[in-house]
Amino acid sequence: MATATASRLAVLAQRPLTPAPRRRRNAPAPGRAPSRPRALSAAPRGRVLCLAAPASAAASTTDAGQDRLQKVPISNIRNFCIIAHIDHGKSTLADKLLELTGTVQKREMKEQFLDNMDLERERGITIKLQAARMRYVMNKEPYCLNLIDTPGHVDFSYEVSRSLAACEGALLVVDASQGVEAQTLANVYLALENNLEIIPVLNKIDLPGAEPDRVAQEIEEIIGLDCSDAIRCSAKEGIGITEILDALVTKIPPPKDTSKDPLRALIFDSYYDPYRGVIAYFRVIDGSIKKGDKICFMANGKEYVADEIGVLSPNQMQVDELYAGEVGYLSASIRSVADARVGDTITHYSKKAAAALPGYSEATPMVFCGLFPIDADQFEELREALEKLQLNDAALKFEPESSSAMGFGFRCGFLGLLHMEIVQERLEREYNLNLIITAPSVVYRVNCADGETVECSNPSLLPEPGKRRSIEEPYVKIEMLTPKDYIGPIMELAQDRRGEFKEMIFITESRAKIIYELPLAEMVGDFFDQLKSRSKGYASMEYSLVGYRESQLVKLDIQINAEPVEALSTIVHRDKAYSVGRALTQKLKELIPRQMFKVPIQACIGTKVIASEALSAIRKDVLSKCYGGDITRKKKLLKKQAEGKKRMKAIGRVDVPQEAFMAVLKLEKEVL
Amino acid sequence: MLRLAFPLVSHLPPWKPPPIRPRPLPARRYAASATATISSSTTSSPPSPPSLPPLSPSSAYVHLPFCRKRCHYCDFPIVAIGSSSGTAPSRVEVADDPRIVDYVRLLLREVAVTRPVSDDGVPLETVFFGGGTPSLVPPLLVAAVLDALRGRFGLSACPEVSIEMDPGTFDAAKLRELVGVGVNRVSLGVQAFQENLLRSCGRAHGVEEVHEAVGIVTACEGLQNWSMDLISSLPNQTEEMWEESLRCTVDARPTHVSVYDLQIEQGTKFGQIHIHLFCAPHIHVLVQFGYTPGVFPLPSDTESANFYKIASKRLSEAGYNHYEISSYSKPGYGCKHNLTYWQNRPFYAFGLGSASYINGVRYSRPRRMKEYAEWVQKLEDGTWSHESRSSDMKDMAMDVVMLSLRTAWGLDLQSFSKSFGKSMALSLCNTFKPFVESGLIIAMDMERQALPHMDFGLDLQNEGDLGSKVAFIRLSDPDGFLLSNELISLAFGVISP
Repeated sequence: MATATASRLAVLAQRPLTPAPRRRRNAPAPGRAPSRPRALSAAPRGRVLCLAAPASAAASTTDAGQDRLQKVPISNIRNFCIIAHIDHGKSTLADKLLELTGTVQKREMKEQFLDNMDLERERGITIKLQAARMRYVMNKEPYCLNLIDTPGHVDFSYEVSRSLAACEGALLVVDASQGVEAQTLANVYLALENNLEIIPVLNKIDLPGAEPDRVAQEIEEIIGLDCSDAIRCSAKEGIGITEILDALVTKIPPPKDTSKDPLRALIFDSYYDPYRGVIAYFRVIDGSIKKGDKICFMANGKEYVADEIGVLSPNQMQVDELYAGEVGYLSASIRSVADARVGDTITHYSKKAAAALPGYSEATPMVFCGLFPIDADQFEELREALEKLQLNDAALKFEPESSSAMGFGFRCGFLGLLHMEIVQERLEREYNLNLIITAPSVVYRVNCADGETVECSNPSLLPEPGKRRSIEEPYVKIEMLTPKDYIGPIMELAQDRRGEFKEMIFITESRAKIIYELPLAEMVGDFFDQLKSRSKGYASMEYSLVGYRESQLVKLDIQINAEPVEALSTIVHRDKAYSVGRALTQKLKELIPRQMFKVPIQACIGTKVIASEALSAIRKDVLSKCYGGDITRKKKLLKKQAEGKKRMKAIGRVDVPQEAFMAVLKLEKEVL
Repeated sequence: MLRLAFPLVSHLPPWKPPPIRPRPLPARRYAASATATISSSTTSSPPSPPSLPPLSPSSAYVHLPFCRKRCHYCDFPIVAIGSSSGTAPSRVEVADDPRIVDYVRLLLREVAVTRPVSDDGVPLETVFFGGGTPSLVPPLLVAAVLDALRGRFGLSACPEVSIEMDPGTFDAAKLRELVGVGVNRVSLGVQAFQENLLRSCGRAHGVEEVHEAVGIVTACEGLQNWSMDLISSLPNQTEEMWEESLRCTVDARPTHVSVYDLQIEQGTKFGQIHIHLFCAPHIHVLVQFGYTPGVFPLPSDTESANFYKIASKRLSEAGYNHYEISSYSKPGYGCKHNLTYWQNRPFYAFGLGSASYINGVRYSRPRRMKEYAEWVQKLEDGTWSHESRSSDMKDMAMDVVMLSLRTAWGLDLQSFSKSFGKSMALSLCNTFKPFVESGLIIAMDMERQALPHMDFGLDLQNEGDLGSKVAFIRLSDPDGFLLSNELISLAFGVISP
């Protein structure tokens, strides 16, 4: 399943590099040259990397590309993004565009790439280009091209939509040997909604399996885009790059000249820099902004002074002023990214715009899970780490939670599964925390007997059965694109996950789009992994929330030696309760070490036991040898045994190892 | 800072020189004397006085590492010297083996350079020659070691001098010689009474030699005290075989029986077989050891627990006291040397890989001959110093718990509470409470009479006078003993949370 993993990792970082909290033991000391990569990390290669923070880093590039800071008439500005499926070559293409326009020297890029590999390894995440201003001369006329990068995952579709809103055009890059994927499709539709001019690009035409004609036809059929003059290129081989640059100039409309209007700048990304505060990336839509301007963020009304403004090329380079149509960054001693949210509008304090730019919305977590430190002493560290991450991630929500089995931890809300994975990964790798992660859950709506409606994302907080009338759960519409060979297995998967079949369309002779509606809860587990494995990696998917529906849901409790284990409680569909209960009790029986007494392990709905296992008592645990009075070894063994017990959580009188919880939680992710 | 000076030993059975001709004593001898000691200690000894003078060891362990070959389960520091034939004891060749002579010389040097802990003239009450197979060492050399010990530390009028002997390594004359030089207790490593079991665990002797050896030992004049050593849970051992071994043991009428439960240790042949069977099966290794691939013939935990229970039952029926997890004795014949260990009292040790406990410091000697020789040299040169990392309170408490709970006398709560604090004693009792209820642990009064478990709970509620009624706790026989690791490690968790 390399494809799925890689594709997930590839979008791990939608934030540029900020100096990492140096907690990892092996991290090189600040200021010391990073060592060469010793082992290949799992991170995908070949991405343009851009060091966002230090202005000094720009020094080496300024000589070669100083002219790209020069202003061009607004009619010569082109703002565009690249829409592509993971591995379809977006990064390589971006590399080549930067190289060909002289924004980054070839030699430099290589160095940058290597250096950043180390940084990637150190931070455990991949870093990607955020935005790049390029200067391109066509017919002796200088143009300013701004490439604005977009996150590639559905979890961040809001962020994607804001990036698209900052552009007038988009390159649609499709792998000529593969074809259109669901993710790409979703983003193309978003781009069309934003009235972007779309330039189709068929990439990887140098590959032996490339079928540009078939793929061009596919694009025409699926998207309805004229592909008669689609550019055929190989970013890797540098074929067709000039054609792309020319098309950017000729096809994409320039921004409207509204530089005389009151300032409105759209934030399309922001990140937290521990030294300078939040750095906001924006596109000036109307008016202009100068260094030192007193500005105002329209969503929260907060005021700041723009201490520094500049452009990204791709390093941060300071400028004095940015006009309508230009793309840049600013820092204004903003303490948290929540104060400079993506989608917010920047205006002048003294000359406010009449209305904010449309499309701003608050982040709403869709998926929840509990995060508990394995070592209870790490609770405070976990809190600090979450707070730090939140500085940079306004969509991350958390609140303290305690559980008898897991101790103290946090209930966290995420935009989606990938977002959840990123946060977990960063907590573990950057902050050295060992976490237990409960099965992800969704927000249920409980209609209570008294007419009240309660939202509940934590199974252990579900109102008693007597107090509730019904439970509703969020449903998603899921669109899957697959080669026709895998239609069967994929429909089976969707059916298994309580999916309701909606539609199947053959988009070409050999590929189909299958649409299902199914509960989000069924998707938050391993659905994506399953989809990939059942289609040998070929299928892709895309989903969107379609609302809440009533379901026959029950709360499944696990009892160990008659003690309920809250952390293992789950909300499941009645029809699945028995098989889930059986799987969980069996797993626990496997993983809980035998105790000095018999231990019943049960799965219950309310008071009714629906699955039951019994762990037999230990027969014997005796070290009879104690030779020549040498008790040290024996004592060591006993100490080790005592340590082992300490690592376990006591559920009543039963010692349950952490691994048992983790395995069950993992199982819950799989079977639920 | 706390050293051995700890008065922990005071509550345990006091040391009494054994009679020259050990006679069976009343069954409750230890219990009665221990109680007496406690009452005196309650009145006289202050809680944890670190100023008490160090106790002088009155026991010495001497390691004689030579074996014909290494048994499949063995991970002790031994030196395999081989033998000319599998059947006939090769006494002559062995006696001349320069390795043995060289080693004993080294041993004598270690004795000579070891200073007695105090000058108060406390003589050695017990000496234990362990191995290895000490019976491979010529009696004259054993005598030399005994003489050296006598000269250095003194030997009491009637010490217990034990030696481990393996069937097939001695005859009547050799045993007579040993008794002649002062050995008065034999620990006979029989292990099993079944030819195939002996072979499959790599013993250097067969059943015939076992019977011969038992005959020699029982017929030896001047030797009343001997132990039959058995191993349970050997590969391919069945319940019938185990019953047979126990029957043969009882018939041989030893004064003492040790029953060791087979442990598969890493680095032993059994350990290898285990790995090969379960991790990376290499058929040639199994065939080499005579095992069928895919079948690990070890008794299951259930069977093995059953063996333990059977031993406890059969030997008790035959009049043996189960006084320690793996030791049984006729009344009055408990191994006094081993009691030193269970009572957490100090002891000297000499020889390869041996562990001493002097001035509160446990020290294990190098396990390789070359390193041991170098160590002795350093000792002589005065260039060796042991960083005397004296054990802290927690370690002390763990030692007391793990050692005393191995015995039938159990843990003295009052003394424990005095030494380590009432709160630790209380939390220990609270942790054990469910197991007192389930019968794995027995609460006993001052007279070491078992108390109903309700009394234990009541005593716990009266925190003020813990120990007023419940004076001792012990592991029950056989159920508590069988789970001793679990129970003791629970106690460790209380001591070092």
